[in-house]
Amino acid sequence: MFKQFLEQVDDKQVYLISSLGIFVLFFIIVGIVLYMMKKDEVKYMSELPLNEEDL
Amino acid sequence: MTEKFYYDNKIVRNFAIATIVWGIIGMTVGLLIAMQLFKPALNMGNQYTTFGRIRPLHTNAVIFAFVGNAIFMGVYYSLQRLLKARMFSDILSKIHFWGWQLIIVSAVITLPLGLTTSHEYAELEWPIDIAITIIWVVFGVNMFGTIIKRREKHMYVAIWFYIATFVTIAVLHIVNSFELPVSAFKSYYLYAGVQDALVQWWYGHNAVAFFLTTPYLGMMYYFLPKMAQRPVYSYKLSILHFWSLIFIYIWAGPHHLLYTSLPGWAQSLGVAFSVMLIAPSWGGMINGLLTLRGAWDKVREDPTLKFMVVGITAYGMATFEGPMLALKQINAIAHYTDWIVAHVHVGALGWNGFLTFGILYWLIPRIYKTELYSKKLASFHFWIGTLGIIFYAVPLYFAGFTQGLMWKEFTEEGVLKYPNFLETVIQIIPMYMLRALGGAMYLCGVIVMTYNIIKTARAGKLLANEPAEAQALAKEYVPQGSDKKLHRFLERKPMIFMVLSLIVILIGGMIEMMPTFTIKSNIPTIASVKPYSPLELQGRDVYIREGCVNCHSQMIRPFRSETERYGEYSKAGEFVYDHPFLWGSKRTGPDLQRVGGKYSDSWHYNHLLDPQTMSPGSIMPPYEWLITQKLDTTTTIAKINAMRTLGVPYEPGYEHQANKDLDKQARDIAADLNKNNVKVKSDKEIIAIIAYLQRLGMDIKAK
Repeated sequence: MFKQFLEQVDDKQVYLISSLGIFVLFFIIVGIVLYMMKKDEVKYMSELPLNEEDL
Repeated sequence: MTEKFYYDNKIVRNFAIATIVWGIIGMTVGLLIAMQLFKPALNMGNQYTTFGRIRPLHTNAVIFAFVGNAIFMGVYYSLQRLLKARMFSDILSKIHFWGWQLIIVSAVITLPLGLTTSHEYAELEWPIDIAITIIWVVFGVNMFGTIIKRREKHMYVAIWFYIATFVTIAVLHIVNSFELPVSAFKSYYLYAGVQDALVQWWYGHNAVAFFLTTPYLGMMYYFLPKMAQRPVYSYKLSILHFWSLIFIYIWAGPHHLLYTSLPGWAQSLGVAFSVMLIAPSWGGMINGLLTLRGAWDKVREDPTLKFMVVGITAYGMATFEGPMLALKQINAIAHYTDWIVAHVHVGALGWNGFLTFGILYWLIPRIYKTELYSKKLASFHFWIGTLGIIFYAVPLYFAGFTQGLMWKEFTEEGVLKYPNFLETVIQIIPMYMLRALGGAMYLCGVIVMTYNIIKTARAGKLLANEPAEAQALAKEYVPQGSDKKLHRFLERKPMIFMVLSLIVILIGGMIEMMPTFTIKSNIPTIASVKPYSPLELQGRDVYIREGCVNCHSQMIRPFRSETERYGEYSKAGEFVYDHPFLWGSKRTGPDLQRVGGKYSDSWHYNHLLDPQTMSPGSIMPPYEWLITQKLDTTTTIAKINAMRTLGVPYEPGYEHQANKDLDKQARDIAADLNKNNVKVKSDKEIIAIIAYLQRLGMDIKAK
């Protein structure tokens, strides 16, 4: 499928390739950030809605 | 130092009331238009209540009034508590509330009057667009002000979703509102044809993403843990969910334009990203459902959780179905049919509706400091609502498959099995009846909820200012050394965050749109395509005013089943003067792109006067007023000038000639009608719309 539409776009591959690149890079960055998050922080954050007093 | 402050519950209550009131109105209009589809008499014989004009009223009311107010209710409640701060400014809250209601009221007035831009879910004309922008900014300032003065240093993931909602809706609304005003309530989009379609569906798709989805995900991440009294299943998953969702969603718009004249590579990009979208959507759904791990016994007891579970499940179903519909093979059958309507309503009734109801049942007793009046009634609402969704969606799926397949069916001899479009409509009328029944059940549930909530509110008393206390944030950081910098960084974080979200959502939009806007070869021009004559242009605006685009497409896809039925498939170059594009998204009636020359003028006249005389069994409403109303030609000069400004090649000075040409063409049509025993004056609106219809598709017909 990718081959087909790459043929159609001629000089516009740059858009597609760069979008794929950005896309992959983006996930890698989010992955690293998630991996580096501290356990305490994650626990603290996830309990934020429950911290306040309600009825 | 511990600070005392008060949460503003009154603004939350006000948005809750608005949610319920507009919900009932929007759904009632929805029920009315659903019934018009099997009983055309319910168009009520006047122009202000015809399907074409009030279908946008329904969509705008449920999206921006019902869901919109529910978003603000949820955001104003959760934001204050997550940040341990009162809303930034009570005055801004009030302006936001009343401004938003005024915008809705203006929609309720202008849409039935036929003042529309014709872009789906963006029909409101330019002065209202400006008002929306201002009120949206007020909302943004109020939200960011609250974030900045917060007493909780961390921003919970729900707030991320709110920020992304704010920033993306702002971008979408502004880009899709580039219009050149012609008069106080009429404008033309800057873009034409294919480009206009791409912008509109980039907007349309992402309005679903960032108005109907991200704020509700934020609300899910706040309210569900509160209801279940346990933290979200995986906070890390929610972060991954957030970034991947906002990044991928923005690319998927072109799946609304598969097989159209949009360049093929843009379509493929839209498909690829739509399929990828399953991952973050299901990540979110699973995160929501698994939050209830170990709390499923509560679901049996607690009606609010029942609503949440079915709502989140509906989200999962709709977000699985969406990517499937984006596959070209499936889209070929589903597009233009009721399948899409069913798909949308699983999301709207299930996800948005049920989450709203769940939150209302949870929130109202809390701000009124009382218990819910009746759990039994809430349970009844849950069941009739769920049955309503099923009765709504299943018949429409059936109608969609049936009609989609009937359109494509050929006999052994190789001709269309159902050459008369009407046959395929009459076939599914019983399904329309069942759908209306489903809608009525759903609405009935909402009315029961309203009673339950009024009784609850009466039993308690609104705690308008709820006392709370928290440590001041500033004191956590003794202003010395590097801490000072860190603190400043954290203060700035929401802004940095907003900019980051903005960048993430702009990437996809730009990569998709720029080639179509900047590279000429994407829209090959056709020499024989000429601008509309002044009469045709005026007729086109009557077509827009009556909302014909709500039921008739002008986009023939390159399938044999379509070229046999309608004629040559649509080319991008045919639409270069179409401000706005009128491709449509649903075929309740047949495609009209090549209707020009297919029927006589007198056929059109009689058909518009009473569609049933020309097509027995037709569900199209009559348009008698086009025969009595005089065409307003005072706008011709402004319209020609505006079109020229937008790049339509009318000769300089032609605006002064335009009305003479208009009169001449109108007299010719009137004379032709006269020959066929139709007596009508040449200055009536019907002449203009006939001129427009007869022009459609003529440019590329071989002479």
